[in-house]
Amino acid sequence: MRDVSFGQYYPSNSVVHRLDARAKLLLTIAFIVMVFLVDNLLAYIPVVVFILLVTLVSRVPVLKVLKSIKAIIFIVVLMSIINLFANAEGEVYWSWWRLSITSGGVLTAINLALRLIFLVMGSSLLTYTTTPMELTDGMESLMYPLKLIKVPTHDIAIIMSIALRFIPILMEEVDKIMMAQKARGACFDRGGVFKRAKALLPVLIPLFVSAFRRADELALALDARCYNATPNRTKYKQAKLGWGDLVATLITGVFITLVVAINNNFWGLY
Amino acid sequence: MQIKVENLKYTYSPKTPFEKVALDDITFTINDGDTIGIIGSTGSGKSTLCQHFNALIRISKGKIYVGEWELHAKKLDLGALRQAVGMLFQYPEYQLFADTVKDDVAFGPINFGKSKEDADILAKYALELVGINYDEVAEKSPFELSGGQKRRVAIAGIIASRPEVLVLDEPTAGLDPQGKREILDLVTELKKSYVKTVIMISHNMDEIAEYCNRVIVLNDSKLLYDTTPRELFANKELLSQTGLQAPHTVRVKELLKDRGIDLQGTPLTQAELISLLGGVL
Repeated sequence: MRDVSFGQYYPSNSVVHRLDARAKLLLTIAFIVMVFLVDNLLAYIPVVVFILLVTLVSRVPVLKVLKSIKAIIFIVVLMSIINLFANAEGEVYWSWWRLSITSGGVLTAINLALRLIFLVMGSSLLTYTTTPMELTDGMESLMYPLKLIKVPTHDIAIIMSIALRFIPILMEEVDKIMMAQKARGACFDRGGVFKRAKALLPVLIPLFVSAFRRADELALALDARCYNATPNRTKYKQAKLGWGDLVATLITGVFITLVVAINNNFWGLY
Repeated sequence: MQIKVENLKYTYSPKTPFEKVALDDITFTINDGDTIGIIGSTGSGKSTLCQHFNALIRISKGKIYVGEWELHAKKLDLGALRQAVGMLFQYPEYQLFADTVKDDVAFGPINFGKSKEDADILAKYALELVGINYDEVAEKSPFELSGGQKRRVAIAGIIASRPEVLVLDEPTAGLDPQGKREILDLVTELKKSYVKTVIMISHNMDEIAEYCNRVIVLNDSKLLYDTTPRELFANKELLSQTGLQAPHTVRVKELLKDRGIDLQGTPLTQAELISLLGGVL
């Protein structure tokens, strides 16, 4: 369970870590847009180069970033298989009954798998290099326009930060409960899908009970410290945009341009 | 069943910034019939060490022999081992899950291959042993019970599988004094039946002094002392080095000494202290 690293912070003092959270959030969104712009496989080259570059500069181990995919590998495979058969355009390679694999299907499947993988890699790089606190403050700041129409942006931000903060805590809890049930002879890695799912029940029930208990305790703790008693909370760390953020934006811009250029065969490469 | 630990080493999250050595070159032997206390400050590696005994943590470096089993071997009959080495975690009441108390206690025996009928009999026996009124509580949901009762049910869930070795990770944490005593008396009671060896983590020196015949002191991932409670608590320097406090009985003796009453020996229980006092009065 410790392998599930999605949403965890990886401490380091790299350039990427020091970027403003708002800039990183927007750039991550830009990166996701970049990934979804690709419709020619060649255009994935700048995407790969970009993500490698960011990983290297951020000093997060490449393996760690790759590991974040592990959590969604099942979805990737499932979606790819569905898309493989859903798209029936192009040359037919294989067909049986009403199913057929076509060149169009293969292309869509690969495209979708790569998109999902890069999406998760990009967003986990964001959480690896940004503490939950910075992330929420960034989100709250970005949601400022909504505040003018009375959307409770601060509450939304705090809910998000609590959710992020609780991922590792609940993971640890799962670990502990699993160990306790294993000590009573429970086995989680034997049998078919249904047997395994049923074996998880002794873990999930205590987990839910403790999650509710924790939520209750947290609510009390917030109340006890007069949370939200003052309308305008001040911040200990004031985020400021700097030169680094501008450079990062420019670099991302260059890569997006590259993707668009390759997509539209700007240089006549194919 | 003898337990032999040889040069055990364990590191959490190796090769990451979170790397932390939890156990460093631990060697000791637990004999059949021992009630052994494991003490040390928070984060000294007590729990990590105990989770090795039934292979919840697989050995990365070193060796452990539990009776016939070699825990460092690649292939290991985990079922049989975990049946023989029962382990009670900290706050075990948080792992209750079943619809009824009876089913929760029978979970272990069923996992270890007992039939439903046999498991129910074992569950009934275990619940009665921990002092739960079976007819009244068996069909209730474990979530309806009080804290102390939940703890007892959780203990019943471990001993229903009839382990020969019982590992207890702070079994009395969070209980009232009455509850603490009951749980420890239960452990003493169990040692008269099928449980041969008890390994107990505790921060309460009174408990260690009264119930354990041996004690292991861990400090900063290393094994510092392997001794008897009497020797450990008689030696003031040993204690202050590790930041441990002597049990109340020993502290009373020290206070009396400061006031000119010198008791001979190290009293570990109230009864011992009273009989020593009887000698000088």
